[in-house]
Amino acid sequence: MTFEVPKVSYTGKIREIPLGREGNTIIVGGESCYPFHLFEGEMPNPPKIAMEVYDSEPEDWPDTALEPFADVIKEPAAWARKCVDTYGAEMIALQLAGTDPNDKDISADEAAKITKEVSDAVDVPMIVFGCSNVEKDTDVLKAVCEVCEGRNLIIGPVAEGNYRAIGATAIGYKHTVLASTPIDINLAKQLNILLGNLNVPDEKIIIDPSTGALGYGLEYCYSVMERIRMAALIQEDERLQFPIISNLAREVWKTKEVKVPESEAPLLGDMKKRGILIEALTAQCVLLAGADILVMRHPEAISLVKESIKDLMT
Amino acid sequence: MSKIICSAAIRGAHKIVGMAEEKYEEALKKWGPDQEIGFPNTTYYLPIIYGMLGIPVETLGDVRQILDKCKELVPPPVSDKVWLPYLAPALEAGMATYFAEEIIEAILYLEQPDFYTRAEDPLPDNIWLGAADDVIMRKRGVEFVDGTAPGFAAILGAAPSIEIAAKIAIELQEKNLYVFMCADHEGKTMSEQLVEAGVQVGWPTRLVSFGPSYRATVFAIGFATRVAMSFGGIKPGDFKGNLYYNKERVFAFAMPLGTVSDEWYANAAGGINWGFPTIADTPIPEILPTGICTYEHVVSNVPHDKIVARAIEVRGLKVSITKVDIPMSYGPAFEGERIRKDDLYFECGGGRTLGVELTVSKDMSEVEDGKVEMIGPDLDEVKEGDKLPFAMLIEVAGRKMQSDFEPILERQVHHLVNYVQGIMHIGQRNIMWIRVGKAAVEKGFLLKHLGTVMHAKYHQDFGGIVDKVQVKIYTEEENVKEVLAQAKRVYKERDERVEGMTDEIEETYYSCTLCQSFAPSHVCIITPERVGMCGAYNWLDCKASFEINPTGPNQPIIKGECTEPVLGRWKGVTDFVNKASRQKVEQVSAYSLMDFPMTACGCFECVATILPMCNGIMVVNRDSMGMTPCGMKFTTLAGMVGGGNQTPGFLGVSKHYICSRKFLLAEGGLKRVVWLPKMLKEEIAERMKPICEEMGIPDFADMIADETIGTTEEEILPFLEEKGHPVLTMDPLM
Repeated sequence: MTFEVPKVSYTGKIREIPLGREGNTIIVGGESCYPFHLFEGEMPNPPKIAMEVYDSEPEDWPDTALEPFADVIKEPAAWARKCVDTYGAEMIALQLAGTDPNDKDISADEAAKITKEVSDAVDVPMIVFGCSNVEKDTDVLKAVCEVCEGRNLIIGPVAEGNYRAIGATAIGYKHTVLASTPIDINLAKQLNILLGNLNVPDEKIIIDPSTGALGYGLEYCYSVMERIRMAALIQEDERLQFPIISNLAREVWKTKEVKVPESEAPLLGDMKKRGILIEALTAQCVLLAGADILVMRHPEAISLVKESIKDLMT
Repeated sequence: MSKIICSAAIRGAHKIVGMAEEKYEEALKKWGPDQEIGFPNTTYYLPIIYGMLGIPVETLGDVRQILDKCKELVPPPVSDKVWLPYLAPALEAGMATYFAEEIIEAILYLEQPDFYTRAEDPLPDNIWLGAADDVIMRKRGVEFVDGTAPGFAAILGAAPSIEIAAKIAIELQEKNLYVFMCADHEGKTMSEQLVEAGVQVGWPTRLVSFGPSYRATVFAIGFATRVAMSFGGIKPGDFKGNLYYNKERVFAFAMPLGTVSDEWYANAAGGINWGFPTIADTPIPEILPTGICTYEHVVSNVPHDKIVARAIEVRGLKVSITKVDIPMSYGPAFEGERIRKDDLYFECGGGRTLGVELTVSKDMSEVEDGKVEMIGPDLDEVKEGDKLPFAMLIEVAGRKMQSDFEPILERQVHHLVNYVQGIMHIGQRNIMWIRVGKAAVEKGFLLKHLGTVMHAKYHQDFGGIVDKVQVKIYTEEENVKEVLAQAKRVYKERDERVEGMTDEIEETYYSCTLCQSFAPSHVCIITPERVGMCGAYNWLDCKASFEINPTGPNQPIIKGECTEPVLGRWKGVTDFVNKASRQKVEQVSAYSLMDFPMTACGCFECVATILPMCNGIMVVNRDSMGMTPCGMKFTTLAGMVGGGNQTPGFLGVSKHYICSRKFLLAEGGLKRVVWLPKMLKEEIAERMKPICEEMGIPDFADMIADETIGTTEEEILPFLEEKGHPVLTMDPLM
């Protein structure tokens, strides 16, 4: 008797979502098996990495993260160009963190202007994140949608509290929405149902079930992503068959472990290497849980993960 | 549909289509078929024609086929001899009317390019805005979809006076509706009346002066049609999708003020296609049965001071209230506040005075939304330390309201009142107790504000089932006694209703998957006789929760065929649990501890488990700290039960379920219970009595051991033998 590798039988498939403007699209999703289970099914579109760009100069980054972007840190458009030209970014994730009313409170119009400039500067697909303040995001993202009509941006976070306003605007100006829920499979599903009821087309939805950094609740987030994938692929749960995004860099680079210098914590080792590895490891984990798009910061962490994706895909 | 209305609409359609034909012939002679026509700056051509037929009208030559279509649609005039139903022909006449009017308006744009302003605001010498361009439509239309503007009122004609016109406009603005104005009544228009009254008109104030003719109605309907195409993803030509989209999402209605002419009827009939009803101030015939529109189609003779409220009711628009308007802070942070003696200014209820709160549902016509009446002295008329009798009667009405939801709404009074800063609320029904602190009175708090709170919060939290809320607060003994008598009657009926609900009678049960975030495979099945194990959700709660949030965690389950009446298994329930647990739980019994028991999340009030030596069952509640006869404390047991696993012999239950006639039916019911913590036994003693009597063992409660008898099986068995507990002669449990 010969040994046969037991195989999972899949009944579902993740939707393929085209991103970016016409003529320059990339496709995410399309998996018919668990992440990298290529012996059981297909992963026609390997996971993509979006590089972060901020709307204004970041104030709380460790030098190790700032260093690769030191020359462009004040100009979002130049920053985005550097990500694409120098580091070969496949996508850009513009973080409108400065719009936060508790931070710089950049106005909706100003944020829309910055977004337009960045969008004009690069032609790769672009994600635009608000500041996660339900009311402010509504204003900001509506303005962004309007100004960038036809660019097919990925707009988020779209949450339960503002899905109608942002969802409707995204339909009107033809953008993709990023449905964001706090680490809960049922809330994720519910928001997808609500977006469907609002008539957001299924090929315009990407989901963000939330991510924590390594050591900061990553395992909980991992389980939720994993369960979303199980529901989508083997439990015929249609409202969960969407590509997953993981907005992880923000989480990683605010932790104590990437900020403490070696002189203060010699046991933690070289500060630069440490930050890069924590980011890469967090990314590696969410990849294995099912993420299709990773939002990352450090170019060296990105090349480590890219290499790993390449290995896993062959 | 009323014959009078249909005949008039069809007559009107004939006139309007005839006029379009004339205009077209004239224009064709003057400009030729290649002349471009259309509304300004839009990619939707003539939007109603484009949305319904999918035909882009770009030139005069394109108009011919539309006019032919109109002629096809308009039925022959109604003869006196025919008594057939008229709905379909009238609706088609209305549709043709809109096509024809769009053509006429497009030709008007050609003939008099400056007839309309082509701007967001009126010009000094021209108030007529005409068709909204795509920029305005995108900016404003999104408000229809996200709910900031639920819809619009299309007003035809003019009010009898400037004052009434301004009042109606302001009332509509207050409901966040757009007001689209067109047509004249005896030479007067609503738009001009508003301008005369000094009210600012234009898109920014949502008071849109479309045009002086009834034909400008097409700018309103065209706007709605474009919203469906732009934000609803509806394809041009998908008339069914477009009309449904508008019926379900755009809360619009027509409000003709003044004599309704044939042409107005034709336009009103057109609006019904979109699900937009007509609410008139003149005594025209009514069309009340539900059909195309969500509720009534034509409601007439409505007085001007009631017309906005009536329109909102007829269209089924939900009132949204964002702020609780009282002089105190309001929110969950103030829920736990205590008002102690030294801070006390006023109190009522709580055994000190008579006190009662009651929520009842009434007919829609009997409730005036937002009316709060204070009958008797309020806080500004009492001294520090005074007490008064108190009754709060909350009357609600709603298209989806059911009397079954009354107790659920009433139960909210406790926490909703407690959310007011400086107020303490305890109890419910006629054992309620309110204390008002000195600080609250200093800030100007009145008892009347409690009515404001309840009105706002019922709308906010229960908008799905409540459309109207009015509150009466009484502080005079005589009135309070009356409300109390009414309340006692209602409480009795409610208790009997709950008592009379059985699993056999109801065909629908509910699921609860609220806890799947931490117990992924757990599905609670809630039946009339089995309350959720957390004790927080009974069958009625789930029913209401589903009405309020149809995509939420409480979904209806058609129970289907009963396969095992004693174990409590139904085909529909099995299928549902299997799917909702994502195939983790293949079978579940609602009434058994041993045979595929229900899974548990972690929130159960009590755990039931077996005591093999006694051949019985024990139940321990969460508050009980001590050891139990099964050798485990509650905390250890909880670890065995939770997490969505099926563990035969261990079950999460609510306190309420212990006294249900369906309690562990498969194992013999309450009769099997041999041990309860003393505190739990005392808590459920009253409710246990009737069950014990039905069992034929009225003193059964005394046979149940507790921790004062023993906390091991060895200790309690002699007690059971001494009392002659029925388990000793029952079939073995395992």
